[in-house]
Amino acid sequence: MMSLPLIFDIRHGSMDDGPGIRTTVFFKGCPLSCIWCHNPESLRTEAEIFWDARACVGCHACRAVCPGGASEVLPVVTLHRERCTACGACAEECPSNARRLSGRHYPVEELVRILMLDRGFYRGTGGVTFSGGEPTLHVEYLSTVLQTLKKQNISTALQTCGAFDLSLFRRHLLPCLDLVYFDLKLHNTASHRRYTGISNEQILANFSALSREMGERLVPRVPLVPGITATELNLTEIAQFLRELGITSCQLLPFNPGGIEKRRLLGQSLQPEILESFMAREEERRMGELFRSQLQP
Amino acid sequence: MGNTLLTDLRLSEFTLTNLPLLSKLLTRNLTEKPQVCIERARYVTSSLKSTQNSGEPIQLRYAQAVKEYLSRKSPQFFDGNLLAGTTTSKPFGAPAYPELTGLTIWPELETISTRKKNPLNIDSDDAKELNLEIFPFWLEENILEATRRRTGNPGSMKLFEKLVFFLAGKAGALSHTVPCYRVALERGVDYLIAEALHREQAIVAKGLLSEVDKQQAIFYRSVRTALEGVTAYAANLSRGAAKLALAEANPVRRSNLEAMAAVCAQVPAGPARSFREAVNSLWILQVAIHAESINMAISPGRLDQILYPWYRADIDSGALTVGEALELVGCLWLKLNDNTNLVPETAEELFGGAGTVPAVTVGGVDGQGEDAVNDLTYVILKVTELLQTRDPSVNARYHPEKNSPDYLKRVAEVVAITKCVPAFYNDSAAIRTLVNQGVSTEHARDYAIIGCVELAASGRSYDASSSILLNLVSALELALFNGKRPVTGASQIGPRTGAPESFTTFDDFLSAFHAQLGWLIGQAVQLNEEFGRTHQEKLPSPLLSALFEGPLESGKDLIFGGALYNASGATHIGFADVVDSLNAIEQLVFTDGRFTLPQVVAAMKDDFAGNEPLRLWLANKAPKYGTDHPVAVKNSAALLAFLYEAYQGYVNYRGGRYRPAFWTMTNHAGQGKLAGALPNGRRAHLPFASGITPVSQAAPDLTCCMRSVARINPLHIPGGEAFNLKMVPVETADDLERLAGAVAAYFDAGGLHVQFNLMTYQTLLEAKAHPDRHPHLLVRVSGYSAYFRDLNDAMKDEIITRTAYDSRTGTALPLPAGYCDRLPASDPVDKKKLSGDMMNSTLALPLAKLIDCITSELVEEFLEVLLDVMKMVFFFDEDYRKNIEGFAGRYLFRSIDRSITVSAVFAEGKLHVDEEELPDPQVIVIFKDGKALMEFLLADNSDILGAMLRQEVTPEGNLNYLYKFAYLARHLQLMATGRV
Repeated sequence: MMSLPLIFDIRHGSMDDGPGIRTTVFFKGCPLSCIWCHNPESLRTEAEIFWDARACVGCHACRAVCPGGASEVLPVVTLHRERCTACGACAEECPSNARRLSGRHYPVEELVRILMLDRGFYRGTGGVTFSGGEPTLHVEYLSTVLQTLKKQNISTALQTCGAFDLSLFRRHLLPCLDLVYFDLKLHNTASHRRYTGISNEQILANFSALSREMGERLVPRVPLVPGITATELNLTEIAQFLRELGITSCQLLPFNPGGIEKRRLLGQSLQPEILESFMAREEERRMGELFRSQLQP
Repeated sequence: MGNTLLTDLRLSEFTLTNLPLLSKLLTRNLTEKPQVCIERARYVTSSLKSTQNSGEPIQLRYAQAVKEYLSRKSPQFFDGNLLAGTTTSKPFGAPAYPELTGLTIWPELETISTRKKNPLNIDSDDAKELNLEIFPFWLEENILEATRRRTGNPGSMKLFEKLVFFLAGKAGALSHTVPCYRVALERGVDYLIAEALHREQAIVAKGLLSEVDKQQAIFYRSVRTALEGVTAYAANLSRGAAKLALAEANPVRRSNLEAMAAVCAQVPAGPARSFREAVNSLWILQVAIHAESINMAISPGRLDQILYPWYRADIDSGALTVGEALELVGCLWLKLNDNTNLVPETAEELFGGAGTVPAVTVGGVDGQGEDAVNDLTYVILKVTELLQTRDPSVNARYHPEKNSPDYLKRVAEVVAITKCVPAFYNDSAAIRTLVNQGVSTEHARDYAIIGCVELAASGRSYDASSSILLNLVSALELALFNGKRPVTGASQIGPRTGAPESFTTFDDFLSAFHAQLGWLIGQAVQLNEEFGRTHQEKLPSPLLSALFEGPLESGKDLIFGGALYNASGATHIGFADVVDSLNAIEQLVFTDGRFTLPQVVAAMKDDFAGNEPLRLWLANKAPKYGTDHPVAVKNSAALLAFLYEAYQGYVNYRGGRYRPAFWTMTNHAGQGKLAGALPNGRRAHLPFASGITPVSQAAPDLTCCMRSVARINPLHIPGGEAFNLKMVPVETADDLERLAGAVAAYFDAGGLHVQFNLMTYQTLLEAKAHPDRHPHLLVRVSGYSAYFRDLNDAMKDEIITRTAYDSRTGTALPLPAGYCDRLPASDPVDKKKLSGDMMNSTLALPLAKLIDCITSELVEEFLEVLLDVMKMVFFFDEDYRKNIEGFAGRYLFRSIDRSITVSAVFAEGKLHVDEEELPDPQVIVIFKDGKALMEFLLADNSDILGAMLRQEVTPEGNLNYLYKFAYLARHLQLMATGRV
C-alpha cells in the first residue's frame, strides 16, 4: 500500500501557476523552511489546525468534541497546540470555520477525479500543476498521479524548491512532466542555509543538470523577498549562474506577505525580518530591470 | 471565417479622436438631462377620446390613434446626429404611456424634477395637461383597472398588488420583443401597406364574409392605417430637415440636413438603397414601434445580419468607408440612448438604472447553420468598445464549432476594455433550447436576444418575455410558514401545507414547497391570461404586426397569436438562495438531524438573533449551489425541472407556452430587502443572488462556479438565464486568452449565457462613495447595463458584494471586511424641507395646521387634518378645484385595527368627508397608522409603491384613484411649503 501524502489545497481555475487555466495541488511538507514562506502550512508534513480567534462565535463546540482536551474555555476559547493531534474534530464542528484542518489524504483515484473536473477549461495549454510544499517528497504517489494524467493527455507542471534526489526524479517524475518551475532563492550558500534552513549545493547541481536535459521546459523562478533575495548582490549572482548555463529568461515572483497571517493562525513564531506589506511597485520594477539587464547583458 | 474580409478585426486605427462627430454626440448624450415627453400620450389619448363613441372596432380606433400621433409627431433635429428621427420630442425624453403604468407618476407630477433618484424635468404646462386632460381619461381604462373591472378583482390580482409574490409585467408592458426589419428595409413600408390592402381587398371581394373574414379585413385595414403614420412621420422629417437646411449657415450641418431630407424622402416608405438609408430606415421604424409599445426592450436584434447586405454593397462599390460605417452605427447607438423610462421613484427600487434595453445581437450562425460573423460584426463591436453607452445592450453569440476563436477573443477583448459588455451566448445550447420549444431549426438559428437575456426567434416569435416575475423565495417562505409570509403578516396567503413540525422527511417538505410554488405559478399565470385578454380588448399592435413574420399571412394581430411562435415568459427571483435553503434543510435537518425544522424556522423569525452558531451552520456547513456537492447539484436540477414542467403545462391566450427564465434585473435586491431570514443563513433584508448566479462566496473558485452553472440543462430554461460573474480586470494578453478560454470551456460544458463585470471591490466602493467622480461607470446588472451611479443603494451593494474572482489565481476573493452586513433603513421624512415659508393668504392657517401635523408627533390626526385642509382649499382655490371638476371619486380609509374609518367622496366639485363606511368605494386604503399613511402620501420623494411593498398601506380597488388622491395631497404639501 502506497502511503498517502497530505494535501492542503486544490485550487481550480488557477491562472498563475503555468500556461492556460490550471488546477494546482498543494502538498504538505518541505525540506526547506524559508522564513518568508507564503504557504507556511506547507512546511510540516503533518496535519495542522488553523485557529482564527477573531472568527470564533463562542459556541464552545470545539471543547465538547476535542478528544485530547486541547480546546479549553479560559474564559475565551484557547487551543493548546502541544495537546492537539490535529484530528480535525473541532474543525468539523466549528460553525464559523474559525477552526480549519490543513491537510487531507486523497486516494489517487479521488485526486485524479477532482483534477479532471476542469478538463474542459484546460483546452490544450492549461492543465495540472503540482506545488506545495515540495511535491517531490512524495515520489511514488506523485508519479502514479502523473502517469494517470498523462494517459489522458493532460498537460502537467511541477513547482519545486529543487532539493530532491535527482536520479529518483529523473526516473519517476520527469518523463511525465511538461514543465518544471524551479525556484532559485539565494545563490550564496551561507545565506541559503541561514534563510531556508539547508544548503543550496544540491539545488544548484540539480538545476544545472536538468537545464541541459530539459531546455525551455525548465523555468527558473526567483522569489523577490525585500532585503533577503531581492538584493542587487543575490540577483546578480543568480543571473550570472543562469547565464553560464546559457539561460536568458527567468520569472521573478513578487513578494506575497500572505504567509504572515497564516503563521499567526498556525501558532508559528513570526519572523521579524519579514515585512507585512507588498513590495513597492517602484522597487519591484527596479529589481526586475536590474535582474534582466544582468541576464541579457 | 466566411464573411470576414477585414485584416484588423480590432479596427485599431479608429479612436474617438478620429471620430469627432461620435465624440461630440457622446458627450452630449451623457450630459443631457432627461425630460418627460407627453406628445404621444396627448395625441393617442385625444384620438381615442374622439373615437370613443364611434362604434368602430378597437383595432381601427387604435391604429387611427397611432397614425394620428405619428403624423403629428414633431420632427426634431437636436444635434449633429446623421440619423433623422427621435423617440420623443425631447433630446433625452421619457414618454408617458397612460394606458399602461403611466398614472403611477401622477402623485409625483409636481416633484419629479427634484426627486432624489433619477429625477426627470417636466414642463409645468405638460404636467398640467397630464393632470387635467390626459390622466383623467384613463382612470378606469388603463390595463390594470380595465382588467380589475372585467374580472371582479380576483385573488390573483390582490396577490400581485402585494408586490412581494410575483409581478405581472403586462400591466406595464408587453413590448419585450425582437421585430423583423428585413422586409421593411428591403422593400419599404409602402410595399407592406400595399400588401395589407391587397389582402384586405381579396377578402372583401369574396362578398359574403364570415366573422373570421371580417376580423381579418379589419386587421389589414388597421395595419395599413398604422403604417401610414410611419410614412407620414418620415415625410415630416424630410420636410423638417429640408427646411432647416435652407436656414443653416454651417456647410457641414447643412449638407447633413440635406442628406437626411433625401434619406427620409426615400425610406422607410421605399426600399433602402444605401447603408445610410438602411440604418435610418431601421431607426425610424424603431421610433415608430414606440407609438404602440412602451419603450422597454424593443430589441432591434441581429443588426450585423440585417444591415450587412447594404454594408457590403456600399463598401464594395466604394460608396462607404469603414470609418463612415462606424460613424453611422455609432449614431444609431446614440439614438438608441435618446429615451428613458418614466417610472415612479419607488419603481427605481425594482428596475433602478435600467435603460430601455433595446438589445442588439451579433455573431453566431446563420439560418443554414454556417458562420455568420462578418465585417459589420466587428464594426459593431468597435462601436460598442468606443462608446460604452448604457444602451443598446449588446449580446455576442458564439458557436463553438462554426465561429472562429479570433472572433471569441475579440469579443473577450471588448469585454476587457468596456469591463462589462457584450454578454456571451452559446449558440449550440440556445438553438437546441429553442428547437425543443417547437421552433424550426432554421428559425432557431436566427435567434436574437430580447431585453436582458431572453431568447427569441427574431421577427417570428412574439414572446412577451417579461410577463411574470415570480419570487421563488416567497414560495419557500409560504412552505415554511404554512401558507403565510413574514412580510405579509397574519394573512393566510397560500394553501395550508403543514406546520414545520409536521414534516418528517425532506420529501414531505419538498412536496409542501412544490404545492406552494405550483399554486403561486397558477395565480400568476391566471392573472397574466386576464391581462392578455385585456390587451386583446384594448391594445392591438397593428404596426408591430406588420414587422413580424406571421400576422400578414394569417390575418391576425400579434396580440391574437398572429406570430409564428407565441410564448409567454416567466422569470424567477431568488433561485440560488432557494436552492441553498433546500440544501441546508435536506442536509442539516433531515439527513444529519443536527437541527429540527421548527428550530430553523424559529431562528429565521428572529433573524437568527441570539443564535449565530445556527446561522453559521446553515451558511457555512450546508451544501451550496455553485459547488460539485451532489445534494446541491440534485436540488438545483430538480427545481429547474419542476419549474419547467409547471410552466410548460400552461398554454397562453395566444396559443403559445410559458417559458421559465432566470434573470432578475434589480428585483433580487428589491425583493431581498423585503424578505426575512432564510434557511441558507442569509440574514433578513439582504439582497438575493442575481439571475441564475450562485450566492456570493458559495463557489470557491471561478471554474467551479462556471462548471456548476454549465451543468444546468439549458432545455429547462427556454426563457434564458443571466449568469453574472465578477472578476478583477484583465490586464495582459495571456489573461485575455484565458478569459476567452474560460468562456469557451463553459460553453463546451453546456453553459448558455455569461456576462462579466471586470472590477474590483475597491473600484465599486469608491464609485459608491464618490458618484460624481465616476458618473459613467458602466456595470452589468442582471441582463442589462446601467450607469452605477443610477442604481439604488441596495442594488449598488448587491453588485459590490458579488464575489470577485481573481483573474490570476481564479479564487474567490473575500468580501470587503465588515461591509454591507446590514442595508441602511429607508430615509425618514425630512422635516426641515417641510418647514418652508408660509403663504400669506386665507389658506395660511389650515396649511400651517397641515405642516404642524406633518412635523409633529401627532400624526394620528393626519388624515382628518388633510381632508379638512383639502376641503378648504377646494373652496378657496380655483386652480386646485379644477382637479375635481367632473370628477367622481369615492374613497374609504381604514386603519388595520379598524379604530379609524373615514370616507371621502368627491362629487360635483366638492369633497364630502364622513366617519362612516361607504358602499362601493373605488378604492379602500387600509393603513397601519397615521404615520404610515402620511409617509405613503406625502413624504418627500415617496413612496406609494414602497409603503405597499412594506405592507404598511394596502390599497384595494382602483389604484388610479389613489394616485390622483396622492397628487391632490402632495399639491397641498407643496403649497404649504411654498413650493408651488
